[in-house]
Amino acid sequence: MAETDAAISVRGLCKDFDGFEVLRDIDLDLAPGTTTCILGPSGSGKSTFLRCLNWLEQPSAGSIRIDGKPIGRSGDGRAAKPMARRELAATRTSIAMVFQHFALWPHLTVLGNVTEAPVQVLGRPKREAEEEGRAILARVGLTEKADVYPHTLSGGQKQRVAISRALAMRPKVILFDEPTSALDPEMVGEVLCVIRELAREGLTMVVVTHEMSFAREVADTIVFMDGGRIREVAAPTDFFTNPQSDRARRFIFRN
Amino acid sequence: MTWPAIRTILDGAVVTAALAAVSIVFSLPLGLLLALLRAGRIPVVTGLLAAFVSLVRATPFVTLVLFVFFILPAAGLELEPVPAAIVALTLNTAAFSSEIWRSALLTFPRDQLEAATAFGMSKRATFIRIVFPQIWRANLGPLVSEVTILLKCTPAVAVIGVVEITRAAGRVGAETYEPLPPFLVATLIYTALIATLVRGQRVVERRIARRFGLVRP
Repeated sequence: MAETDAAISVRGLCKDFDGFEVLRDIDLDLAPGTTTCILGPSGSGKSTFLRCLNWLEQPSAGSIRIDGKPIGRSGDGRAAKPMARRELAATRTSIAMVFQHFALWPHLTVLGNVTEAPVQVLGRPKREAEEEGRAILARVGLTEKADVYPHTLSGGQKQRVAISRALAMRPKVILFDEPTSALDPEMVGEVLCVIRELAREGLTMVVVTHEMSFAREVADTIVFMDGGRIREVAAPTDFFTNPQSDRARRFIFRN
Repeated sequence: MTWPAIRTILDGAVVTAALAAVSIVFSLPLGLLLALLRAGRIPVVTGLLAAFVSLVRATPFVTLVLFVFFILPAAGLELEPVPAAIVALTLNTAAFSSEIWRSALLTFPRDQLEAATAFGMSKRATFIRIVFPQIWRANLGPLVSEVTILLKCTPAVAVIGVVEITRAAGRVGAETYEPLPPFLVATLIYTALIATLVRGQRVVERRIARRFGLVRP
């Protein structure tokens, strides 16, 4: 795939925290309309990698393009300069994120959480944003929760609100950072169900997850990470039935 | 007590209430501004502000009043007693309340800030839309407590000739040789003022609890 056709294109990405190398020389191209699941043991750098994609973590080196547009640094190679804060914020509006611990804003209603960024950042008219927000909440099965505050919701409902908040931005890409890891087992299903539905609709999504069966069923591409590197990129059937590396084999076997 | 005596004390009450009200209006936002500037980690500014806050917090309030009234004129800044009193009260409460704001900013949940950043909100919008609406609600108790302390600091401005409740009561007592009744009246007025503040706090807190449940950002 050409770099410019990819929804997400990563070249030579490195990240270190105070000299400790977390990500090493990562190259990756993800096609638009596909769902990618990032698997790997704890500490393999999955979440850090995901957080680099919208520049919540600043990579030490390398470049990232979202839908062909660079994020974080403009220009290439030597000429790359850090983006102005405003330009970075504008770029981020095309990448939404769903967090492990929901990160909802507790002082806003469910609908308020969903419409906040579209109204404040994208400048959409409030009424229009609210109409769309209610439609999105209906899609995730939360019609009657639009006007309550997040503290009244269960974990699964909170995460569905967080997904609605992401959808309301009409993003090019949605990043999921272990979206079900903070949930009771009973609530994992309802959240995965929503993500599965979105995958079917052809959104571009990157999901860091430990849910192997979900990854196998939903992903178009599996990215397996270990020790801060990408060890394997494969279709799920290939990855789960015929992993190329020893490390991946052990990982699949253990899970 | 005669009616004119009571009038004298009530006039003092008006002065106290006005001093407190004006100082609250200036000091709480100023305290927030100090906290924000310190959180901004601007090289020299942050250190200077930290030193300023420590200095004001360490200075007895009467000393601060005298400083503003007698020392500042030496620097070419001459103030009438009432403005000087307001400046002293404002500096004092700004310094103390800035510590409340600062700890609120430092302990604000990181994930909420990250969510705002990830959705493209500017720092300014994040503060106005996400942070501020939560921190004032969560810190209403400490802030009102700071305001009651401000109210109780007001007698100190009598040293530069401002006639507030306590000074007025003292005058009445000196004229009638009966200090007990005027100071009783003075105490009642202070109690009423502070009870009003605390009552207001309870009402607002109850409304917040009804709407958001327990707000603990």
